[in-house]
Amino acid sequence: MEKVIEVKNLTKKYKDLMAIDNLSFDVKEGEILGLLGPNGSGKSTTINCILSLLNYMSGSIKIFGKDMKPDSYDIKSKIGVIFQDVAVFDELTVYENIDYFCGLYIKDKKTRKKYIEDAIELVGIGEFTKFRPKQLSGGLLRRLNIACGIAHKPKLIFLDEPTVAVDPQSRNNILDGIKKLRDLGATIVYTTHYMEEVELLCDRIIILDKGKILAEGTSDTLKGLAKVEEKVTVEVNNLDEKYINEIKNLSVVDNIKYDSNILTIYYKEGKNNLVELMEILKKNNVKYNKIYSERPTLNDVFLELTGKELRD
Amino acid sequence: MTVFKTFWKIVNRYKFTVILYTVILIIFATANMQTSDTNTNFVASKPDILIINNDKDEKITENLINYIKNNSNIVDIKKDDEAINDALFYRDVNYIIYIPENYGNDFLDGKNPEIKIKSTGDYNSSLAEMMLSRYVKVANIYLNQTKNEDELISKINDTLKENTKTEVTSKLNTDELSRAVFYYNFLNYSIIAGLVYIICLILSTFREEKIRKRTIISSMNYKKHNMQLLISNGILSVILWIFYVILSFVLIGDVMFTSHGLILIANSFVFSICALCIAFLIANIVSNKNAINGIVNVVGLGSSFLCGAFVPVEWLPDTVLKIAHILPSYWFIQNNEIVKTLEEVNMENLKPIFVNMFIVLAFSILYIIIANIISKKKRKIA
Repeated sequence: MEKVIEVKNLTKKYKDLMAIDNLSFDVKEGEILGLLGPNGSGKSTTINCILSLLNYMSGSIKIFGKDMKPDSYDIKSKIGVIFQDVAVFDELTVYENIDYFCGLYIKDKKTRKKYIEDAIELVGIGEFTKFRPKQLSGGLLRRLNIACGIAHKPKLIFLDEPTVAVDPQSRNNILDGIKKLRDLGATIVYTTHYMEEVELLCDRIIILDKGKILAEGTSDTLKGLAKVEEKVTVEVNNLDEKYINEIKNLSVVDNIKYDSNILTIYYKEGKNNLVELMEILKKNNVKYNKIYSERPTLNDVFLELTGKELRD
Repeated sequence: MTVFKTFWKIVNRYKFTVILYTVILIIFATANMQTSDTNTNFVASKPDILIINNDKDEKITENLINYIKNNSNIVDIKKDDEAINDALFYRDVNYIIYIPENYGNDFLDGKNPEIKIKSTGDYNSSLAEMMLSRYVKVANIYLNQTKNEDELISKINDTLKENTKTEVTSKLNTDELSRAVFYYNFLNYSIIAGLVYIICLILSTFREEKIRKRTIISSMNYKKHNMQLLISNGILSVILWIFYVILSFVLIGDVMFTSHGLILIANSFVFSICALCIAFLIANIVSNKNAINGIVNVVGLGSSFLCGAFVPVEWLPDTVLKIAHILPSYWFIQNNEIVKTLEEVNMENLKPIFVNMFIVLAFSILYIIIANIISKKKRKIA
């Protein structure tokens, strides 16, 4: 697959703070690349540098095989950006807003009209075209923000935390829309600190922290980096210390925690652990409310790599 | 044309604000013009003048005093500064003439000595101003022809008698002109509060950081984008200016069709250009829409009070007027005041008006340069 973005040795510093530290990565045509990291990890700075909205100290950025500069209007015509903050005119209606931002790219009236209708349909705000932004809920506003960014049918789309503070219904709608955009052939760079979204959407993930790449790969590859293979959680009241020790002494158990009547067991290997645990509890006549098993998440990977949670 | 069209859509959203400011202008301008001097009888509107004569009993000085006495009501009040200022404030006197020491001799020697004045700036004071300047002009003309004092006085008096008749026929225009000047002085506030406010609001919408970011990353050249904004703002300014001019024709009448009216209109056009530049500057400094209203009010009211848009310039203390020199409103209002005392429209008389217009334009250029520097600094990516 052709490389749509090539970032080499990108470095950016804010006074004494190293925001991006010698970052190199590629984005291939048609893929959704997730940039995952906690707040302040350098995700938005990376995107701003790629888009020439920020100067950088060293490194090179190529988009569609050409050097990206502030006046690279031919490259910019193929890019769509959806920022974290909703960027629309409060004075214009939903339709007028999309028309304005689409009009910055598409001159032909007829084509623009068709594109606007497609964008409205994609994000599902057809009933609200005559509304002003202030009349929309937070979720609908985010959808409008996306429609404004993608109405001109860009080949490369940057989505910078588009689902922050969005209700579940709108979040699902936004995520479905992003999948549709990928199906239509767009290449997408998606930044977020929500690991579930990255797992659900992205073909490839880059985990960032303090401006450095900690890990890179598919969701499964990254999860393989975790030494824990299975996590079992049990809701159990007043569990005796001796039973906890019995479980802890099992050879496959890596770690165990019991806090607020919740028992969490981390297994090094992930086969039949749940059945074996249930047998131990039954044998010792321990009554429990809920029991469930989970595969390690990207948060666990991040925790192992950095010693902190993704949402810290 | 996307930016151009969107600009006008946003203007449309603010139409009620535009209407509100226009209504305020009409109400204030009409109310104030009603309370200003509206005398229709020339005899009844003779100005009240105080003459402070520091000269010896020179014939030529005495003749000047007699001429003024014959054409005005001479007021007798205590001749100290406080009493004089009080008299001006309460309109007990319209015009004060300070004849300097040795005036007569200096005049006959061709030194063109300066006569200092103080005035209320109203219609009656304009009459007094015209009366005094007419005497001095006529006297200067005949001084070139004869050095004989008696002959000079005789020629001056003969000429002034004829001119006095002309004065009566031009009475109505002077009254209307006074009202027109008042309207155009008030326009300083209307233009800043209305035009600058609307343009600032719209520009700040386009310059909002997140919108600006989205525009910069688009494929539209940012210079083209700014050019479309500039043209739109220019057209809006011209439309609002035309509206204010039409309003002056409706409220004032015939005098607006004279050359004096034309100068007032041209002067207000130059000031509108400056107002547009002020708007660009404010919009570049302030990004918070809520703050714009406050800032525009401070600029509008502040410049109007400091420069004499609401109160006659003559009432303002010297220090205030010195400060006012750094504001374009001062030069705009000065031009209006010059028009009020303009007897004849010719190139020589228009010179100071052109100079003041040039100063207003220089202010505009300065504001645009500062606005561009700020804009570049803001646009400069970290």
